Amino acid sequence: MSEEYSIPEGLYYTEEHEWIKVLEDGRVLVGITDYAQKSLHEVVYIEAPSEGDKLKQGEVFGAVESVKAVSDIYAPLSGTVEEVNEELIDSPELINSDPYGKGWIVKIASKTLEDELGGLMGPDQYREHIESLKE
Amino acid sequence: MSSHPFRIEMAARHSHLYEYHRVYGKLVEFSGFEMPVWFEGIIPEHNAVRQSVGIFDTSHMGRVLVTGKDAELLLDSLITNDLSKTEPMEGLYTVMCNERGGIKDDLIVYRLADEKFFTVPNASNREKDHNWIAGHAKGYEVETRDISDDVAMMAIQGPKAEEVLQKITSADLAEVKRFRCVETTIGGYNALAARTGYTGEDGFEVFLWDTPLSQPAKALEVWNRILLAGKEYRIKPCGLGPRDSLRLEAGLSLYGNDIDEETNPYEARISFVVKLKKKRSFIGKEALEKVNREGVKRLRAGMRMVDKGIPRHGYEIWKNGQVVGTVTSGGLSPVLGAGIAMGYVPPEFSQLGTELEIKVRERLLKAITVKFHPFI
Repeated sequence: MSEEYSIPEGLYYTEEHEWIKVLEDGRVLVGITDYAQKSLHEVVYIEAPSEGDKLKQGEVFGAVESVKAVSDIYAPLSGTVEEVNEELIDSPELINSDPYGKGWIVKIASKTLEDELGGLMGPDQYREHIESLKE
Repeated sequence: MSSHPFRIEMAARHSHLYEYHRVYGKLVEFSGFEMPVWFEGIIPEHNAVRQSVGIFDTSHMGRVLVTGKDAELLLDSLITNDLSKTEPMEGLYTVMCNERGGIKDDLIVYRLADEKFFTVPNASNREKDHNWIAGHAKGYEVETRDISDDVAMMAIQGPKAEEVLQKITSADLAEVKRFRCVETTIGGYNALAARTGYTGEDGFEVFLWDTPLSQPAKALEVWNRILLAGKEYRIKPCGLGPRDSLRLEAGLSLYGNDIDEETNPYEARISFVVKLKKKRSFIGKEALEKVNREGVKRLRAGMRMVDKGIPRHGYEIWKNGQVVGTVTSGGLSPVLGAGIAMGYVPPEFSQLGTELEIKVRERLLKAITVKFHPFI
């Protein structure tokens, strides 16, 4: 049952299990969802882009590695990487313990925010999406 | 109306301890068995074994009994190590080879009596090994029985393993030296306790006799009693995940990854199991004599990541701008806090301190050859 996965209101979601938070200044924070971190379990390493990197929506821009598995992360929006969460270098397990808070991965500045946000899912749609994966 | 009127599912096999795993473990498929990859997490379980004690269900492995007047003769003709040198209640780590000198399996053979040998093949080779032994038995006065489904198997490993197991075992375990075994009772039930393991720590592998898969209550009871006995030492049930990370840190091979039918024991750096001069000839002897004479073209090496990253099975090993080998086992070493790997490289690159690169997805990351038996 998807009740066991946390899917906060106020965020956008992708099929590939990323979440997007639109900040007041129009920048966005990106991370992976509770469903993703539970599937991966013990995260030990993040492969993140660098500040200034240009991202294109849908393209692989990094990876999250656990003891047993590696998961690619896909850019949910096109834009430029403004900041990378440096805390994850020493404490990658933050992705497990606080996936929507301290486990954020990158901050992006996107010129195409309005256009691309429309294609993303809201919490209810994402809940349906993960429920369909269990069949 | 469903387009599938009925569905036949190939049910994965279950071990004697499935009822516990079903509730407490994260289940995955391994060699046709539904087994727990972890209960709490790979890293905490790994650390529990290194620091204190952990318990593993290893019932998915094989248990084949070879008995009769010619039991020793037959087995000695199939294994590379010298069975004639073993004493009663002694276990022998060895490999069985094909005619090319390639490894069919690595296993332990216990001499329980003059005419009674107990072999423990890998889970992935249960049927293969039994068929190999039985298939060569023609003309020998011998009986081969696969008793895997009638014997439960567990491993208790770590510095506190003996203390914990002793609480419910009648024999004096301090008397049982490494690679020796004893017939005893555990939790009041008939069992064989062997001082062997796959973790690089002290510990025991225990076999509960007369425990049919269809009536696993005895196995579950003993498992739970060991958990209770180990409570004061913070014992953890351990899954296949820590089993793999522990044996990797110990530099032990995994059949199917590091050794297979195309790998000979010399390349695999386990030549100590090959006794070319033993009295009886064995399958693969000529091929191995040739390798011994001519040398190997590749050697198993241990590598530690210098750049941050985790090497995994199948990743390429590079040197001087080209691919020189492949990672056969890799992962994170919780003790070292770095990625470690085993793989095959040309002999000249297996020297300690050789700088290599491992291709982790699209990037070439720096690594260095290190001692690996064990890594820690």
